[in-house]
Amino acid sequence: MRIDRTHRAWLIASMVILGAATAVYIPYAANSPGGPSGGSPIGLTFGIVGSAFMVFAGLLAARKKVALWRLGRAQAWMRGHLWLGLLSLPLILFHAGFHARGPLTAVLLALVIIVVASGVFGAALQHYIPNVMTSEVPFETVFEQIDHVRSQLLAESAQLIGRVSAPLSLVVAAPSGDLAATADAALGAEEATAPLRDFYELEMRPFLENPRGRNQRLADPQAARGIFKGLRVLLPPGAEETLKSLEEICEEERQLRRQARLHHLLHDWLMLHIPLSFALLLLGAVHAFMALRY
Amino acid sequence: MPRAKLTTKKLAERIDLNYFKHPHPLRRWRTILSVAMPALALLWLLWIAFTHNARVYSSGRMSASHAVLTARCDECHVKEAGSFSAAAEDRACAACHDGPIHHANQVFTPKCSGCHVEHRGPRRLAATADADCAQCHADLRTSGAATGFAREIRSFGAGHPEFAALRPGSTDPGTVKLNHAVHLKANLLGPNGPVQLDCDDCHRPPASQAAWRFAAPQPKPDAAPAKDVPPSRIAARAYMTPIAYAKHCIGCHGLQFDKRFKESVPHDTPQVVHAFVVQKFQQYIAEHPAELRETNSSRDLPQRPAPPSPRQVTPQEWVAERVAESEELLWRKTCKECHALSVAPGAPLPAVAKSNIKPRWFEHAVFSHDAHRLMKCVECHAAAPSSRETSDVLLPGIRSCRQCHHPGGDAVESRCFECHTYHDWSKEKAVKGKLTFSHLLHGD
Repeated sequence: MRIDRTHRAWLIASMVILGAATAVYIPYAANSPGGPSGGSPIGLTFGIVGSAFMVFAGLLAARKKVALWRLGRAQAWMRGHLWLGLLSLPLILFHAGFHARGPLTAVLLALVIIVVASGVFGAALQHYIPNVMTSEVPFETVFEQIDHVRSQLLAESAQLIGRVSAPLSLVVAAPSGDLAATADAALGAEEATAPLRDFYELEMRPFLENPRGRNQRLADPQAARGIFKGLRVLLPPGAEETLKSLEEICEEERQLRRQARLHHLLHDWLMLHIPLSFALLLLGAVHAFMALRY
Repeated sequence: MPRAKLTTKKLAERIDLNYFKHPHPLRRWRTILSVAMPALALLWLLWIAFTHNARVYSSGRMSASHAVLTARCDECHVKEAGSFSAAAEDRACAACHDGPIHHANQVFTPKCSGCHVEHRGPRRLAATADADCAQCHADLRTSGAATGFAREIRSFGAGHPEFAALRPGSTDPGTVKLNHAVHLKANLLGPNGPVQLDCDDCHRPPASQAAWRFAAPQPKPDAAPAKDVPPSRIAARAYMTPIAYAKHCIGCHGLQFDKRFKESVPHDTPQVVHAFVVQKFQQYIAEHPAELRETNSSRDLPQRPAPPSPRQVTPQEWVAERVAESEELLWRKTCKECHALSVAPGAPLPAVAKSNIKPRWFEHAVFSHDAHRLMKCVECHAAAPSSRETSDVLLPGIRSCRQCHHPGGDAVESRCFECHTYHDWSKEKAVKGKLTFSHLLHGD
């Protein structure tokens, strides 16, 4: 979700809440005998409100899971997740008095900082990566289908190479009655397309089959252009269409790889953010119970 | 054959329409981790419960004095049957500590944990914040009679008035005349020639082992410290030994009363002195009956004829005359040198005003000379060398203390607890300990 003008109301409300919380915290911290404490009435209020914000932020997962759960629009939930989740950090810091003296509280403070920081990181990426994706990956596909598309590209390239390499194609195309000449021509054609076959076997097929491969020249657009330029010199003019198609396939593969990298960049932070947030909610509930009890 | 142009439709045709039925590894791992992390947290909590290690729920390290209770949460966090809360209540503190009330007319009594905040690491629990005291003293109200204390004190530097003994109109209530300037001057006449007195010739804590330079051979033992000095401050080094004639004065200020006797009268009440003098003269005349016949040769003054005949007096008359002469000397000169005497009409003996020497000037604060032994006496008691009147109050003022006792990293402690105590220790009750080693160390 991009943070744009539609978030203005949330931004203003968040600033007001933060300002009010800060205005309450400063005199409270200055005048508290013994310093601010999470168990004091004000500290407890900060903790309850901060926890409520975190729970709301956590409920986004449930809202997404149950699409028919018509409690507000998904966009509103997402905005709430962003802003209330962000607000939960200062409120929890006010609750803790900027201290974490116990083992559990130290773990909780670390978790809340990591979760919020990763969320902010993810939100920032949301503003940048999609534009990059649009400009650099015009052949964008569904991420989960990248391997499937790649296999289709592999099949297509194999088919193209097969067509170019087949002497029969020349025999079929040869003028009738001139078989010997055709056979000679076929042999000559096979020799002429050998560079292309070698290129396919040695470079292009590994490039398509092994997306994580290293030192693949075709992964670099400039190097790939150079390779295909060289092939054009070596190959007969009749192979031009094939070369062009293969070049397009390589470009598609590069875009698929680029798309995969961008997708990981855009979504991998969730591997940290989501699991840790669930752990945070669980441990936070335990902390609330034990702190209130003791 | 040229490759078909890649349109959106062409791109879309590549998609397996059932792809969403097969979770992608990324999504699968996200789900696995989303379950694994809370599960890990839950395992951790279960392990804590299994090992009875409640310390993980602690809100911080214990103070140094309670560190031995780190693993014994239930010593302070006592859970009543049927109650949810197990907060540390005052009764848990009272199991080991008696905390007497501060003032009978205070309007509220804070909880022990309100001032003595635990779980803040290895620090002194008695080192309370100024804000704890300012809860009341920043706007002092009392139940019952109005208080004479300052009403708006927030800290030593904010609102703390000048010490009571130094406020305008305050004087030293002592009646023993002492001129510090004379006593501290050079070449003061001493018992064996000129002397230079130093402060510690008269002012030293009881724990001092050095002999008094001008004391009687066997001085009386020192008095006990004041009863309302808190336990942590009972030390024979905090306050000065009360001024005593036998230790500090006798060397130079003898109480001779008659040239017939080397010894002095006892430093005691006029009644005791009188009885002593009478007894001495009675003893003397019994041993020297010849003196009953007086020739008055010492009274044969020029141009004054001697009496026609020597006097013959009875022993009683002789004793009475000598006692009168001696007491004339004592009441009018010797004792009067230092004491205020008054004679009521018809009274045979004068009354001596109580000395009223204050052993301790700060009645609502504690002070330790031992802690300040690094300072020269006159740095704080600057008025002493020039003081000529007994009524001069020679205590340092609050400004003197604030030179060192103020907030900041380069200053010494200035919080309220440094000089004041909350608990009225004169009302302390003994507490019987109940813990055993096996319980404390092993939880048995």
